[in-house]
Amino acid sequence: MEGVLAWLVITIIKILVILGIVLGIGAYLTLVERKVAAHIQRRPGPMVVGWHGLLQPLADGLKLLTKEDLFPRYGNRFLYNLALVMALVPATLVFAVVPFGPEFEAFGIKIKPILTDVNVGLLLVFALGSMAVFAIALAGWASNSKYALIGSMRKAGIIISYEVVITFAVMGPIILAGTLSTYDIVQKQIEQKLWYIWLQPLAFVVYMFAMLAETGRVPFDIQEAEAELVTGFTVEYGGMKFGLFPLVEWYVEVLSLSAIAVVLFLGGWSPINIPFLGFVDPLFFLGPFSPYVWFVLKVSLLFLFVLWLHWTLPRYRIDQITETAWKVMLPLTFINLVLTAIVAPLVWR
Amino acid sequence: MVKKVFERPLSWFERILFLDFIKGLSITIRHAFRKTITTHYPYEKLTPPKRFRGFFGHKVVDGREPQPAFDEWVERFKIKVEPGKSRCVVCMLCKRACPVPQLFEIEGEKLPDGRRRVSIFNMNMMLCTFCGFCVDACPVDCLFQSDIHETASYTRKDAVLDLETLERIGRDWQRRREDEPDRIWIDDHQRQRLWYENSINLPEVKR
Repeated sequence: MEGVLAWLVITIIKILVILGIVLGIGAYLTLVERKVAAHIQRRPGPMVVGWHGLLQPLADGLKLLTKEDLFPRYGNRFLYNLALVMALVPATLVFAVVPFGPEFEAFGIKIKPILTDVNVGLLLVFALGSMAVFAIALAGWASNSKYALIGSMRKAGIIISYEVVITFAVMGPIILAGTLSTYDIVQKQIEQKLWYIWLQPLAFVVYMFAMLAETGRVPFDIQEAEAELVTGFTVEYGGMKFGLFPLVEWYVEVLSLSAIAVVLFLGGWSPINIPFLGFVDPLFFLGPFSPYVWFVLKVSLLFLFVLWLHWTLPRYRIDQITETAWKVMLPLTFINLVLTAIVAPLVWR
Repeated sequence: MVKKVFERPLSWFERILFLDFIKGLSITIRHAFRKTITTHYPYEKLTPPKRFRGFFGHKVVDGREPQPAFDEWVERFKIKVEPGKSRCVVCMLCKRACPVPQLFEIEGEKLPDGRRRVSIFNMNMMLCTFCGFCVDACPVDCLFQSDIHETASYTRKDAVLDLETLERIGRDWQRRREDEPDRIWIDDHQRQRLWYENSINLPEVKR
């Protein structure tokens, strides 16, 4: 009985911590994005609200909350609101299977810093990732607007093609680790003394592309395409409802997929890896906190890289994007799969 | 004969290693760590060039009038010349040059001593296109365009410049910028920062 109670308390604490971190950071990433974009274009970005615009997300949130909530005539109010829930919930749920660090013991209880260590964690991630297409298709359909519908259809096309690609891309690490559990994949990388990026550079590149496509980042942001579609499926949304879509798509989803990429390819919480030899930890002085710092560091670097790409590249056309997915990326992942199968026994030993 | 220009297609080497991506990324990262080149507008303001076509003003009599034109017009219309007051000789040439003449409302008055002077000079800036024809037409270098460009107002009435306002703008201008060399870009350090950062060397202006 006590064991169940302790487990319940721990789980609730974990849920609160993860939700707080994800949504809080998600809001602040808007500021990070604006700052990065500004400096790439040689502007200072928001400077007025707080020191160097540090309170800008709060001001934005207040402004969005106090705005009028408009609803398009002849739209479907139920689906219109459902789309928001469908967008927010799966994107946040992905964090349930993201391991933040190694198992530790506190007050005599062993705690894994992962919400649920499901043995099919990765399957869950990509199942939830595919749910995003429903949110966007519903948002476009329920808005009763041409722009929104076109935007959502484009996004649906992209996600359908890249879902396949991303699933095949992560096959490589799965074969090498021999498990679908995210926690165990990191554990295996530490045991085998190998970040999987060293053996899977191809899969990593493909994964990065698919990640950009799924989250609607440049060069695959045709579902928003400011110039032609105003902002795609969010056209008819107002106030905080409008604010939520980019928050989910651009920040929460990018963050979760970066975390998954770190878990799969960059060895999760492990320090810098020399393949097959061991790990070098320049942050050893942090003691038990070093794994968490490493994890956060890797995820934030990956996120910054995505931002950097976003503000550098132009936009592809829809046909180019789907063509790349089916004709280039998918065959590449197959080749990678074959190569991995050949190399795998070497890693398993 | 039309010269056909094609973009060189990417080689396979470039495609596999994403060299075009890397080139673009290296450019953006270099820009990201340089100093920003913007002016933080409400807190910092650029000085417009001297020839900037902003709000209008009347230069006042201060001994720097264009001669002999000014004396000729004064004699012709028997204008009363007062130092520190508008140079206007009520010739109406500005109104004639204007594409929207009704924006000018100019009247002169006769003083008891038989001399004349301008009494009303209203310009309705709601109708103005800032073309500057009136400034070109002014024979006594009285009407001019200043560097005032923050012209938003709460009422339409505030957009009408009356004689007093015009003279005030003129006095301010003559105190600040009348002696400045008349060139297109002034040597403002903010402006210099913009131009020199882009390594564009403007030819030296011969005066």
